[in-house]
Amino acid sequence: MCFKNLPIDFDENGNAFLKEGLANPYEHKVVDLGIEQDKLKGLMERNGFIRSVDYDPVTRVAGALAFHSVVDLKEKKVLSTNSMATLFRGYEVILKGRDPRDAAYISSRACGVCGGVHATCSALAIEMAIGIKPPPLGIVMRNILLALEYLYDHPLHLFLLAGPDYSEEIVRETNPELIELAANTPAKNKAVHGYENVLDIMKDLNPLKGKLYLEALSMTRVAREAYVFIGGKYPHPQSVVPGGLSVNVTMSTLNEVYSRLVKFFDYSQKVTGIWDDVFDFFLESNPEYAKCGIRPANMIDTGVWDRPDAYDATFKNCNEWGNARWSTPGVLINGEVVTTNLREVNGGLEEFVEHSYYEKWDGHQFKTDPLGMPLSPNHPWNKETIPKPGKQSWRDRYSWDTCPTWDRMPMEAGAYSRIYLTAKANKAPESKFLENTGHSMKIHVPKHQLPERTLEWKIPEHWNTFERNRARAYCIPYSAMVAMDNWLLAQKLIMNGETKMSTPFEIPKKGTHIGFGAWGAGRGFLTHHLIIKEGVIDNYQIVTPSTLNAAPRTPWGVAGPYEEAVLNTPILEKYDKPEDYKGIDILRTIRSFDPCMPCTTHIMAKESDHIITREVTTCACGIE
Amino acid sequence: MGLNKKVLIGTVGYQLLGNHSVGPNLLPQLQSIHWPEGVVVDEMNWGPIAVIQYLESLETPFDRVVFLVAIERAQRDIGEISLYQWMGGLPDDKQIQACVGDAATGVISVENLLVIGEHFKVWPKEVYLIDVEPGMEIAGEQFTKAVIAQVPKILELTRQVALNGIVETINVKELRGDRLFN
Repeated sequence: MCFKNLPIDFDENGNAFLKEGLANPYEHKVVDLGIEQDKLKGLMERNGFIRSVDYDPVTRVAGALAFHSVVDLKEKKVLSTNSMATLFRGYEVILKGRDPRDAAYISSRACGVCGGVHATCSALAIEMAIGIKPPPLGIVMRNILLALEYLYDHPLHLFLLAGPDYSEEIVRETNPELIELAANTPAKNKAVHGYENVLDIMKDLNPLKGKLYLEALSMTRVAREAYVFIGGKYPHPQSVVPGGLSVNVTMSTLNEVYSRLVKFFDYSQKVTGIWDDVFDFFLESNPEYAKCGIRPANMIDTGVWDRPDAYDATFKNCNEWGNARWSTPGVLINGEVVTTNLREVNGGLEEFVEHSYYEKWDGHQFKTDPLGMPLSPNHPWNKETIPKPGKQSWRDRYSWDTCPTWDRMPMEAGAYSRIYLTAKANKAPESKFLENTGHSMKIHVPKHQLPERTLEWKIPEHWNTFERNRARAYCIPYSAMVAMDNWLLAQKLIMNGETKMSTPFEIPKKGTHIGFGAWGAGRGFLTHHLIIKEGVIDNYQIVTPSTLNAAPRTPWGVAGPYEEAVLNTPILEKYDKPEDYKGIDILRTIRSFDPCMPCTTHIMAKESDHIITREVTTCACGIE
Repeated sequence: MGLNKKVLIGTVGYQLLGNHSVGPNLLPQLQSIHWPEGVVVDEMNWGPIAVIQYLESLETPFDRVVFLVAIERAQRDIGEISLYQWMGGLPDDKQIQACVGDAATGVISVENLLVIGEHFKVWPKEVYLIDVEPGMEIAGEQFTKAVIAQVPKILELTRQVALNGIVETINVKELRGDRLFN
């Protein structure tokens, strides 16, 4: 069945069981990273063109990420990489012992962009743990709220954070040979965005002054305005609660939301047209660009946007309500879907800390999930967060990020995983605006100022830096059209008098209750695993997209997604002397994942959760 | 009685960071003061980009902006109050872009706010910073004794600067964007 590396098998009825005859079924190899480091040291001593290049901090990402690489500037190859999360996220520690009802408000603060998805994920975990099914309008409005959050997040990434990497200013500095070519390359999508040639687009991608940069800033406001009609405020919504939303929604709320949402119809056409033109230009101008950030399409996603007629919050039915989502949960290995079942997505998860500043925990409290699927001692329900700051070493521990795996493989996450899995799996229920084909997603965008148009995102042949950002651009119309589907549903519910927004609940004071929230952040996969004991939070574990993407090596030495993608990146930048090297190809690759380090890491709460010390070990100079 | 100027008093800073939260913690007290018409007291923590978009959207812009903040600086005693006047000036484009990046991803910083506001030309001639020395960052809801003792002075200075602009009894230092990140 779906697991190849974990010791889990399935009987003829599809029930999972632990393979028999294994003395230590979850044993894993731990390799000595020092061997690789010794080799590199020898090479660097012998070859003056091999240099350590540290990006510390990696700029234009959210939060504290540092990246260490060893590059051969003569051969134009990357030889070694290490991704470092430089701050500790203490939310697991802060939440322990608290009333579960606090979780949505506290965990929301894990990020200054995607507070809403953390709050929602937290609400979902509680809904599963104690059995709360929100009313239909609560589910539908939650979907709209989170689609709007993505409509804030994606333009922000595409034009403010990653966009400048493709701007005329940066390209002129790093690959001047492309400038003339861009000036002579007609823009294929002129009809939707108005630009004659690719250089004109690049000029408007220039940071701070470019029209596309400034337009994205104003579009973030449009999304934010619509968001606060439902969430109360941004980025930490006040209305997300277990069981729905604590806000009343009327036709007037829907009208306010619609008047903003409609602006994303034309913008969707424009953004996808812009990025298709820019990325096609790069890939056509030099086919080597297709190798930048390349790695197998090994991805994981939780799915997002629940169907009100399917979602019942139960673990028992999570495969069914998961598959009914507007975006399909699942796992892709080499671009092929290996599962779309949330139970298997959950069951295959593990987190390792061999190269992170944490102590390994003892114990294996949950040997199976509530329906009997074997769970590893490294599964989030079994994991404990025990910070252990220490010396940074490429040979040993070098990150505050843990190393999450699915079926013992590092997994990539992103908004793009959402569109990729949904298009490929072709399981999402019928939609007025979305059509999955197994090799693409067709998005029917209604007319606004521009005529209606069907956009089609196609699964690319190679999964690389450019395709990550292209897919993210298509997630703008995707999110907008999911919001529209839900807007129409909300209208119908209100017209039918189904205006209840939340289900009352009480936290049981006795017993153990477990649940997990599975909901995508703007940047993809997000889970909150929760254990409630005797009415308080006994354990809370958060796995974010950047926890997956920024992961250090696995205990058995496999590079994390950033590390692998950069390792595969050819150096295409033009420079005369090594001193002039800027590292643009590497930076484009890291930024193509949309790193969000506030999610991955946070503040080090030393000794108690009242003393906050920033334990920043960012300088990579002199680290062995 | 109305003031012939439109004034914004904005508090900036993270919550629950002890003395570093002077702005957000004193916001309710500032709001409870009886201000003349034209004075707006509000939290300005909702992101520099959003703040700038708000200021750009106003039909009648503010004539004076006063920010209450607590920034750890060298050679100040905890609780010491400094008054700064924003003189404009901008760091290089890379630094401005870094400020926008931080702002767009949720970092709360008055310096980012000032720089981004300057870039987008939203500030009036009179922009002041009332800056209380918080000392080392320590989490918590309470101020230390040194800051508690200064609360009446902080509120009074805020009131005076908001209503009258530069106060002669306190030394006004200059704050410039082109020197902020050196």
